[in-house]
Amino acid sequence: MAVILTLDGETTTVEILGRKPQLRCSVEDRYYVVYETPAETDGGGWITVNGVRHRIWRIQEGERVHLKIGNRIFSVGITDPIDAARQTTRSGEIRADMPGVIVALSCEPGSNVRAGEALLTLESMKMQITLNAPRDGIVSTVHVAINQAFQKGALLVALEPEKESSPS
Amino acid sequence: MPIKRILIANRGEIACRIQRTARRLGLETIAVYHFTDRHAPHVSEADSAIELQAEIPTAAYLDIQQLLAAAHAMGADAIHPGYGFLAENAGFAAAVEAAGLRFIGPQPKVIELMGDKLRARDFAASRGIPVAPSCTQEGSMDAFIAAASTIGFPLLIKAAAGGGGKGMSIVHSADELANRAALATSEAQRYFADGRIYAERYIERPRHIEVQVLGDGTGNVVHLFERECSVQRRFQKIIEESPAPNLPRALRDEICSAAVELSSAALYRNAGTVEFILAPDGAFYFLEMNTRLQVEHPVTEFVTGMDLVEAQLRVANGEALWLTQEVIRQTGHAIECRVCAELPALDFRPATGTVRVLHVPEAPYLRFESGIREGLPITAAFDSMLAKLVCYGDDRAEAISRIKSALDATVLLGVDSNLEYLSAIFAHPAFVAGDLHTGFIVQHAASLAPLPLDAAMRASVLIAAALGNDDFRRMVDIIPEPHASIGYWRN
Repeated sequence: MAVILTLDGETTTVEILGRKPQLRCSVEDRYYVVYETPAETDGGGWITVNGVRHRIWRIQEGERVHLKIGNRIFSVGITDPIDAARQTTRSGEIRADMPGVIVALSCEPGSNVRAGEALLTLESMKMQITLNAPRDGIVSTVHVAINQAFQKGALLVALEPEKESSPS
Repeated sequence: MPIKRILIANRGEIACRIQRTARRLGLETIAVYHFTDRHAPHVSEADSAIELQAEIPTAAYLDIQQLLAAAHAMGADAIHPGYGFLAENAGFAAAVEAAGLRFIGPQPKVIELMGDKLRARDFAASRGIPVAPSCTQEGSMDAFIAAASTIGFPLLIKAAAGGGGKGMSIVHSADELANRAALATSEAQRYFADGRIYAERYIERPRHIEVQVLGDGTGNVVHLFERECSVQRRFQKIIEESPAPNLPRALRDEICSAAVELSSAALYRNAGTVEFILAPDGAFYFLEMNTRLQVEHPVTEFVTGMDLVEAQLRVANGEALWLTQEVIRQTGHAIECRVCAELPALDFRPATGTVRVLHVPEAPYLRFESGIREGLPITAAFDSMLAKLVCYGDDRAEAISRIKSALDATVLLGVDSNLEYLSAIFAHPAFVAGDLHTGFIVQHAASLAPLPLDAAMRASVLIAAALGNDDFRRMVDIIPEPHASIGYWRN
């Protein structure tokens, strides 16, 4: 689960790695543990990122989030994550969110896969990570081989396009 | 009959400021507004309000006939012009008086005298007030060059009919003078169809020092001490304070006396400001007089304990000056900064948007004066100033420390502003040392620029922003873990 953000003209992906007991995210290949606490009195709140606590004020306006963090003010553009996820689901393209190496392949072209079934395992940031199918479908192409290195954004596996369901 | 119902021919923070004093004194206020301002605080906080028609919003506030008609329709007995718009328009002041209303400002003929920069300058010189040494080309070029050389270098050459920097140049020595004068003449001819040029002493590293005065129209004038307004961007003040730092008391008194002398000679009625340029060697020169309330008047109110709007009303009522110079004291230190919708990183380009979050600190030593509220759109139709923040302290160090904390505690989201930039100025060693001149912002541009974000801080900003997005938040908070992500990562 990732969201694409734009700050000062640069685009960056924030990826959720886990949510319990605390939110774990990756940003630009680094790993962050995050929790938030609301302020008791005056709106706003606190965000703690890897143990560093910041005062924040924040508001969403369309596809932007305006925020004051510490004494600095930012306006960050956000690509709607549900749209982005839907896009991924529909297109069936499984891309790398960070650079890494393929350690195991669990599918081949023509494989019939169920949503959540493992497609491949990669190693990135010294972690082994399994990528699962976003939906049911047939694997159309596998773009990587075992021990192959890839860059962020590389296309790893593609599912056959989803059949358009006719609107009722 | 003293004034009872005031029509305020203005908008924004100054209209709200005038309303506050009127309310305290039990006077009724009438707001005027253009349709684009219909949700603005100056409209809702007035006792009554009347809409003015105009295609261009600013034109509404400049329409003398509509303003007078509104005043009559609403039964006003006086008009307060605020600052900007018609505040220094002698024709407006005369029309207000001709309509049988009080104009809360000077007599029309005094506005006329002081409003014309060359007339005001000649008037000041005739009263022995220093003006920057200058000469105008009236006869031959040779005579002009001879006269200009006696002023002393560096010199600023300007087109007599000019403006906007055309035909302007700085001449550092006599060798350059003939060439530059010829060049300026041809440029002046080209741009203004008037080749006459004008030379004046160029002041390097000038400070902008101004004096608050109050007169009753009979020659009685007192001063309320000075303000330093040297920190400017694009020739507009952004920080003002009183007293001026590092200004010797004797020199301060001399400048204040000159301001009183000038205003008294003009039989000035109203609160007003006499502006001076102060050279590093202590020489000072009359620049111009503003015949109205200034944006930065609250710093003077803090250090003197006076309400200048109330003082304006009293002299407009015909009251003789009730103060002598001896009883007016300057106590402590006050600093103001102007919060503007602009992008300091892009040469202070004006910004627009909608005020989404506005959180303002409160303290007895602090004034946050604005005409904005949450939900209000900020358009390019009006001036970019959103608010002013003013802090008082026992001394300059305390005033600076308080205004820094107040800026840190101010939250304004939805429209880009110079809040961070103002904090950077107050933290700058040259500002703290009081080492000020009108080129301060240009000189310190590099050290006032924001520091780039390090990777950890940038990530914190991005994560905090992502968590401010409703859909992302839902993914984090609500959706059960196994379904939260598409192709989720398992460690």
